[in-house]
Amino acid sequence: MTEIRDPIQFELFKNSIFSIADEMALTITRTTYSGVLKDNMDFSTAVADAQGNLVAQGLTLPGHLGSIPTALEAVMRHYRDDMNDGDVFMMNDPFDGGMHLPDIFVFKPVFVDGARIAFAATICHHTDVGGRVAGSNASDSTEIYAEGLRIPPLKLYLAGERNETLFSMIEKNVRLPVKVFGDLRAQLAACHIAERQLHELVARYGAETVIQYMRAVIDYAERLTRAAISELPDGEFSFEDWIDDDGIEFGKPIRLFFTLKKEGDSICGDWTGSSPQVKGAINATLSWTKAATYTAIKSVLPNDIPSNEGVFRAIKVHAPPGTIANGLLPAACAARGLTGFRMLDCAFGAVAMWLPDRVCAASEGGATGVTIGGYHPDRTPFIYVDFTTGAWGGRPWADGLDGNTNLLVNMASQPIEVTELEHPIQILAYEFVPDRAGAGKFRGGSPFRRDYKFLEQEGILQVRSDRRDFRPYGLYGGNPGKPSWNVLNPDIENRPLTAKLTMDIKRGDVFRHEMAGAGGWGDPLDRDTWRVLRDVRNEMIGNETACRDYGVVIDTDTMTVDEQATENLRAEMRARRGWKDLPKVLREEWPGTEEAGEPNHENAQQAMRAG
Amino acid sequence: MTGFRIGLDIGGTFTDIVFLGADGEIHTKKIASSVDDYAQAIADGLDQAFRESGVAAADVEELRHGTTVASNAILETKGAKTGLITTKGFRDILEIRNLRMPRLYDLRWEKPVPLVERYLRITVDERVNAQGGIDRPLDPEDAGRAVDRLLAEGVEAIAVCLIHSYANPEHELTIKEIVQRKAPDLPICISSEVLPEIKEYERTSTTTINAYVAPVVAGYLASLRQNLDRAGVTAPLLLMQSNGGLTTAESAGRLPMNIIESGPAAGVIGAQALAKAVGLPDIVTFDMGGTTAKASLVENGEVTRSIEYQVGGGIMIGSRLLTGAGYMLKVPAIDLAEVGAGGGSIVWIDAGGSMQIGPRSAGASPGPVCYDTGGTEPTVTDANVLLGYINPGYLVGGELKLNAPKARAVFEERIAKPSSLSVAHAAYGAHQIVASNMIRAIKAVSTERGRDPRGYALFAFGGSGPIFGAGMARELGMKRIVVPPSPGLFSSFGLLYADVEHHYSRTLRRLLRNADLEELNLVWDKMVADALEQLAADGFPESKRRVRRTANMHYQGQTFELTVPVPDGPIAEDTVAALEEAFGAEHERTYGHRAGTEEPVELVNAQVVGYGLAERSSVPERFATAKASQADRTPSRQAYFGPDMGWVETPVIGRGDLDAPRPGPCIVEEYDATVVIPPRSEAALDAYGNILIELP
Repeated sequence: MTEIRDPIQFELFKNSIFSIADEMALTITRTTYSGVLKDNMDFSTAVADAQGNLVAQGLTLPGHLGSIPTALEAVMRHYRDDMNDGDVFMMNDPFDGGMHLPDIFVFKPVFVDGARIAFAATICHHTDVGGRVAGSNASDSTEIYAEGLRIPPLKLYLAGERNETLFSMIEKNVRLPVKVFGDLRAQLAACHIAERQLHELVARYGAETVIQYMRAVIDYAERLTRAAISELPDGEFSFEDWIDDDGIEFGKPIRLFFTLKKEGDSICGDWTGSSPQVKGAINATLSWTKAATYTAIKSVLPNDIPSNEGVFRAIKVHAPPGTIANGLLPAACAARGLTGFRMLDCAFGAVAMWLPDRVCAASEGGATGVTIGGYHPDRTPFIYVDFTTGAWGGRPWADGLDGNTNLLVNMASQPIEVTELEHPIQILAYEFVPDRAGAGKFRGGSPFRRDYKFLEQEGILQVRSDRRDFRPYGLYGGNPGKPSWNVLNPDIENRPLTAKLTMDIKRGDVFRHEMAGAGGWGDPLDRDTWRVLRDVRNEMIGNETACRDYGVVIDTDTMTVDEQATENLRAEMRARRGWKDLPKVLREEWPGTEEAGEPNHENAQQAMRAG
Repeated sequence: MTGFRIGLDIGGTFTDIVFLGADGEIHTKKIASSVDDYAQAIADGLDQAFRESGVAAADVEELRHGTTVASNAILETKGAKTGLITTKGFRDILEIRNLRMPRLYDLRWEKPVPLVERYLRITVDERVNAQGGIDRPLDPEDAGRAVDRLLAEGVEAIAVCLIHSYANPEHELTIKEIVQRKAPDLPICISSEVLPEIKEYERTSTTTINAYVAPVVAGYLASLRQNLDRAGVTAPLLLMQSNGGLTTAESAGRLPMNIIESGPAAGVIGAQALAKAVGLPDIVTFDMGGTTAKASLVENGEVTRSIEYQVGGGIMIGSRLLTGAGYMLKVPAIDLAEVGAGGGSIVWIDAGGSMQIGPRSAGASPGPVCYDTGGTEPTVTDANVLLGYINPGYLVGGELKLNAPKARAVFEERIAKPSSLSVAHAAYGAHQIVASNMIRAIKAVSTERGRDPRGYALFAFGGSGPIFGAGMARELGMKRIVVPPSPGLFSSFGLLYADVEHHYSRTLRRLLRNADLEELNLVWDKMVADALEQLAADGFPESKRRVRRTANMHYQGQTFELTVPVPDGPIAEDTVAALEEAFGAEHERTYGHRAGTEEPVELVNAQVVGYGLAERSSVPERFATAKASQADRTPSRQAYFGPDMGWVETPVIGRGDLDAPRPGPCIVEEYDATVVIPPRSEAALDAYGNILIELP
């Protein structure tokens, strides 16, 4: 391990190398074309050393942590020494270092005097890479070949010369080449900026020192990670959770099983026991599984540990090939994002068994993907890709956040007014839905609803959502959140839809998605009455919920709590419940408080077929 | 003795007052701010300043004011009880924000509390579409019920933001009429008047902030005026806006969102004016105080502005990527990059063995170790004392005795030993690391926008800025550093150098190549007319009114815009072609690439700035600075300039001693700041009393 000889020069170097990665990210944000990049910010940037080890990742998307080394490894395997100054590599093949086809990696090796010293790395989620469904995101493809253009590691530039063959192959195989090329230009610009700044660092410190310090930055992150892990108790903890289904075999749950083993200064995360890979397009690559695992564990470590290879050395991740956590060819994986979010929930569950006061209950289940695509009457294509997340599980010290990005990503919402200006879509609602969050001493985050009205003649709606059958769990006495819900034309036919779907829509159709509510943390009967009152006054919960879930009696005319009646009711509820210990995990409300009448899958499926 | 202008800068801790006479005569006063009623401290301070200086209230020609009263109301959530009316289906725009958070992997993150709680957010059933057409008309009775509900809750202000109201304000205007009818004295802000621009969250948040601070600012301005009248000051009151321009008290009361960041803006404007006077068109300003450091860019004599920022967003590092820390305010503001680095920042060694500075600060209490007021952790100021940069005996003026040996002992124990360094090397390291953090702020406003700092001069001010300025400039390859007179009070001077400015903007979102020239001319002409009318109302004669038009554009599909000037005269075919070319050139300059000519450029916002020019040059030719007393100053001391140079016997001088150029090293001690002039440099005074440091 490289020792830090001069802590001052080292700190200066570390600041420089991380600011390069950040500056790359800024360049992409500011110049990119697609909503999924510029607003959802589904991209990452990084600097890696000459061997492909991650040195610095930009402040972008946690879910991409770990993806860049895997991709670089593939480039190295294919090209070894066939790399020259001015080369730029591109790839997206999930079975050759990639994640899913829309995520295109662009790498630029950086040379000094003929020797490679580093890589500039970017990964961007592109609006469309072809395939059977616009947006290349569908959850119901059953093999990779349906999902779009599969690009093995190839040279996009050869010693500074454009690879016209590759460019024209891409142009003919994607629906919106202008957006794809605009976004690729942003990636190239980011790589150029990194190259220029790395050269400046070399001019200042000399190539030898730069190489040595890059190694030192990795070692430094490893030291910090191990030091932090050492302070936590040893042990082995498992957690189980289920994805509703794969969108092909409806009603067949998919098991996730995670075991966290902590020993000394390292952690092993093991996904053995998870379901075999599935037909639908939600199979994760190992790199995606790693990112979800790192995110769960990094969230209980100090916040300022740099994100790089050093972290990976202390946190090992294992996932057997051929499982949902590590799919093999020809597994479809376009919608694998879903599985990552659910793996984060599952890994947090294990952490909650290990460190009960450090993590939240289950969040909303991750980003729901809504894609609406088709053609205008003049046969020009439109594609709207939206990802939306927003409710955190209750935390041991505070309520889950309402309307805040899921921790695995750091996505922003696309402005409604811009969406309506750029796409044949009108958003009719974007607001919290009351009474859907899991009750708890600290309640889960409230989900929101989004209503999309389609304005073009005809199009295809494709939705990736989950947490319909298996609700976001509550922890230590907290209730689970209410399930997610999809409906067509809520004010007319109110037709239930499945959680994952691809369907034709026509002008005037309104698609409603209600996110799942997040799980609560702690006994709802211990919740401060003023918090319950505040939620009632703000219409985040109804008065009946205050009574039924929290045992709080409120006079809504005066907006005051009847403390005596509350005390009595809570005592009566505690007696009726008869808990000796708080249940660690709740996946359904305790008997007697559950609401009736949630439509289930069969209804939705039958309704869909009927429609 | 006539023609005095007064600059008044209120901070959370101190109120700084500067009197500037027509002949360059200067008086300064620094007093503690009165947090309960800021206007009180101003009245008291003025009173004292009048007595001490012999200037009479009647001699005051103009009063210019920078204040944190509006930003404090937001940061402390002590604004008005505000109601918000939105379109049905969109009750929670203000609270959902744009979902993003400023930290990764942080389960402890809490969102800023929404300025309007949900029960005070009411929806009305109406809908305007993206083209401005009315899909669903507003029922005035429904709107009346919404207003009644808010009035029944006892709101003190109402904000209205309906979807697509920037394209058609009709429904918002109806609601405004209803409010004015039902509650004639209640402040009412509608988004189509406050910010007629696309993006509902930004518009809602901005409109809400405006309503939320309006009663507070109005009350403050009224109280201030009363106090001034009582003190016999009848001169007009102008307020500094976040964008660096001045505005009248009347206009600040109506659009208080424009004065939120008025304090930091003043320093940048001061630097801009002084730099123009001495013939430096391109500068980076660097303002470092006790807890934060701020950088900004002045290019071709123009300050750079951002189109939006986050109030209370805190510290810069990463914040340009990780937004969401504060309250979104989409009004033009001087583009400042801020880092949490100041004299009080704590120096420590982390678990990985690396030296870290901050983000914790010893602040004023317990303060740095050398203050001997209970501080036990080494700070940046302690490092500067150990390096010999700051007088080891006392802070200049002698009011605060320093305990350098104590600082040395703590540094030795906590920093030097664990990292096997000498105390001098460790202190120098701390100094360098702070500098490198602050360099990130400078890079954020220069290299991150494609600007090479080597072509710029560094303007260093604030209590600690001049200690670091020259060293940072050397790191960045910058050749020239300017330290203005009274660097510690410079923001108050900045107020005196500003012009009156009014900003206007209209969202167009038209492809430039298909633009309707008639529409463009109409939109710009209207804004120009509004600007001129406002300037006339402010009292500027025709010869002193200036108008500037700019176009805010991007390639179709992009989200971030770049701004280019619009040439004078009617907009014709060739103007449009020129704008398209100018945008491409700016894109290339900023990001290093541009799209082909086939890519359509979209005109997002048409913008106009109206300037009311001061009657005469606002920068005095020569500062009549009082000569500092030489009596208690030692002629030289040892200062450490890095392992290469080691300890160097360094002359300690006053600003006046730089009448003739001198080589570094030397240290200039002043009442409100210390200036470090390092080895291998040369320093001299210019005609305006600035210290100019040249690096080889």
